[in-house]
Amino acid sequence: MNERQIHKFVGRYLEATDCQIIEKSPAHYHVKLSPRADRDLTNRPFYWSFVDRTGADPETMSMLLVTDKAKYDDAAAAKAAQPPAPAAAPGSGSGNSADAAFGRSFGYLNNAANLNVRVPREDLHYGSRRLEQLFQSAKIGGNYLCLFQEPEKRTSHPLHSTAYSAWLGVNMKVEFLCDMKREEIHSFGISLATGQCLEQFSDRLLQQRMTPKLPPNVHTAKNAITLNKAASIAEGTLERKLRTYDYSWADAASKRLDEELSTVRHYYEPLIEGAEEENRAPIAEQYERRQEEIRWQYEPRVSVSAINCGIFYLQGIG
Amino acid sequence: MQSNKDAPAGEQQSPSNANANPAKSKLHPSVDLHFDRTWLTQLQERVDRNGPWDDWTMYQLAVEAEQTKLIESFDDLQCLRSLPSFEPMPHQISTARKVLHEMSGRAILADEVGLGKTIEAGLVLKEYMVRGLVKRALILVPASLVLQWVRELNAKFGISAFAQKKEHSWGYDVVVASMDTAKRDPHREKLLNQDYDLLIIDEAHKLKNKKTTNYQFVNALRKKYCLLLTATPVQNDLDELYNLITLLKPGQLGGQSEFASNFVVDKRLPKNEGQLQEALQAVMIRNRRGDGGIHFTKRIVKNIRLQLSAEEQALYDGVTNFVRERYNEEQGDWTSMLSLVTLQREVCSSRDAVFLTLVNMFKKTPEDSPNRAKIWQLVEVIRGINANTKAEKAMELVREMNDKVIIFTEYRATQEYLLQYFRSNNMVAVPYRGGMNRGKKDWMMDLFRGRAQVLIATEAGGEGINLQFCHHMINFDLPWNPMRVEQRIGRVHRLGQTSDVHIYNLCTVGTIEEHIVSLLHEKINLFELVIGELDHILERFEKNETLEQRLARLMLEAGTNKDALKEGIAELGNSLSRIRDEVELEDPSDLAAVNSVLNAVGQTIEVRP
Repeated sequence: MNERQIHKFVGRYLEATDCQIIEKSPAHYHVKLSPRADRDLTNRPFYWSFVDRTGADPETMSMLLVTDKAKYDDAAAAKAAQPPAPAAAPGSGSGNSADAAFGRSFGYLNNAANLNVRVPREDLHYGSRRLEQLFQSAKIGGNYLCLFQEPEKRTSHPLHSTAYSAWLGVNMKVEFLCDMKREEIHSFGISLATGQCLEQFSDRLLQQRMTPKLPPNVHTAKNAITLNKAASIAEGTLERKLRTYDYSWADAASKRLDEELSTVRHYYEPLIEGAEEENRAPIAEQYERRQEEIRWQYEPRVSVSAINCGIFYLQGIG
Repeated sequence: MQSNKDAPAGEQQSPSNANANPAKSKLHPSVDLHFDRTWLTQLQERVDRNGPWDDWTMYQLAVEAEQTKLIESFDDLQCLRSLPSFEPMPHQISTARKVLHEMSGRAILADEVGLGKTIEAGLVLKEYMVRGLVKRALILVPASLVLQWVRELNAKFGISAFAQKKEHSWGYDVVVASMDTAKRDPHREKLLNQDYDLLIIDEAHKLKNKKTTNYQFVNALRKKYCLLLTATPVQNDLDELYNLITLLKPGQLGGQSEFASNFVVDKRLPKNEGQLQEALQAVMIRNRRGDGGIHFTKRIVKNIRLQLSAEEQALYDGVTNFVRERYNEEQGDWTSMLSLVTLQREVCSSRDAVFLTLVNMFKKTPEDSPNRAKIWQLVEVIRGINANTKAEKAMELVREMNDKVIIFTEYRATQEYLLQYFRSNNMVAVPYRGGMNRGKKDWMMDLFRGRAQVLIATEAGGEGINLQFCHHMINFDLPWNPMRVEQRIGRVHRLGQTSDVHIYNLCTVGTIEEHIVSLLHEKINLFELVIGELDHILERFEKNETLEQRLARLMLEAGTNKDALKEGIAELGNSLSRIRDEVELEDPSDLAAVNSVLNAVGQTIEVRP
């Protein structure tokens, strides 16, 4: 994610969680968090359990979320240099930094946002902990959905009814693991009416306008298959696909695994053999543990979990 | 609950908690396929209860977040894009890659001092965390380095690492603790019952002996990946190397007798070097400085001998007598004796430092004790002192050099006094001390870099002060712990210093200080040692007691007998210089054969100043 993408992401997150934006620029947001966002982002579990137990009115925190540090700092410096010292030409770098240094030693606050209350500043770059929290919060808040496609145009005829059918949509993360790892995301949609399975289902959904409310003049087709069955169809499709992959990485990992196991066997077996009777058990235990560690480290495997999923009602009979 | 359910299956895969995935099949002869179906049960439940349903935007954001974080390939270095605040050096990146892709996460990082083993380990840890292959990590280091590790992991790598302080700290995902704490009960039991995805051990040469509790403890810990960090994988003989590697990967060098017959002629003379090297290459990386690459500039050391003024001398003698009397009275209570020794050292620094300690001592002394009067008498002597010989000399030096200078003192009170003294002489000086918060420290550094000629510091530790732009340093007084002196020097005389560095030691004639300066300067040759050498000397010297403790004991036991003191110190000095000679001799000649094998494992790094 680059700065622009992060900025957009954060903006949509703040809107979706009903945070109140006090000030913004292409490089930052100054927000008062909504209770929902505050719970997820401010690490104040004790405060929130206090609010929940006593029913007190929650006081949420304000934050300065900087999405483009370089741009924001430049802007802030230019702003600080201007009003108090009109003599210093804007853009003369040395003048600015000298002013900033003086400002610090005399205790000026050179940031408009700092004027009333201290607002914690967070630099949201890719990999920062706060952005990771935003990701987590989105994940928790966007797990299970039930949505309807909005009709393309209002049918003029009040008695005309459009047929919708239900789809199970699931975004799956596939992890290819050994002592190393890579991942893929697969998105499936399975029609509960016909059992048809579509790939890249998520992209398809994004092209539609979706709403949580059942639109007027719509009827839904009867489900022919259960969720369980639909999930099996998705899993089966994925499994067939995975079978066609190249597994030389796994063969290499198994080879490493076997080599490591034979190395420790070569070390421990004579050791156990040659040990005094009473020392044998602890050495054998050590050997056992070391073998477990090697399997834990190298064993090649593929595991599939869901990022999120939902029931989606789409126009037509799939 | 949430995190449990959502955690990728890989993170939980460990010997003790087997994965509870219901669906399982074979994808390929060596590959199992697991389907985690918790999502389906959850969805079914919500369908049955008709809600609650989540938000459409959040759903999209969650997918976008996952797409961004997706690990698309087995072998690129993902962590680099999430570290905007610092740029690792090329050899650090290549080392991390090698550990991750060729050594499968079990390695000995044996770079020479100063090339950044901590950074390399941090990169490996971060990469595994980004990939979800490491969640729980344990980092065992000497007690004095715990906070530095925590700071570095947090600041440079954005890893939430915690210092182990209380029993519950062990619960954090990434914990830094001292080896000595970890191996003791009740901690020991707790740690042995955990599965650690990654174990990092700094100063791993302390594990060279199989029979020690350190070694056995580390051997018993359950770990997936493991990094051992040491600049000196072999200090005395080849067995140390064997033990270290066997700890990491038993069998890598064969059994003990196999190793002896295949690779060892004598404890310091290897054979079949080619094969040994190959075996080492699979588990160890050792980057070395290029021969011409790192040349430190010169250190020019000057001891400045000063005669105390008559008043100051009177105070010194008064305190000395007081200390001796008290020692004779209360044989035994070692801690209160140490504070007496401190008193004597403080006299050599400033009257302000002594004054503070005396006042505190006065407050603690029972009212009916005859000592109260004696203490007060000393305070009266202090009132008679109007000038500080050392401060005047320091002022003179600072004016003469007419350049940036850092003055180190052991005592807060001396620091305050000097600040005030310099100010009253129209010399701009700024303070620096351990208790300042990060922001204030940075600010003081800015001021020193920009406007002040003098920085007066009580603390030399921590990575915060890099003063390559400063070429002069005054030791207003000297710590008794040589490592602290080395830390002070290291602030100024380090990579990136382009000029020779002048070091001035102020030393008052006829006091304990005179002995200390000669011990540190002449006997240990502290000011001219190569980095890392002091470590070795002290490790051998300080078997039971630190140098500091031995000095204190010596002083108290000598009583008023000046010759006894002199003799004792001479003896300390002789054994120190003997050890120094041993250490200096060993490396080049004796271990040459071992080193040439070790050094072939890795690359030569040209670090330009």
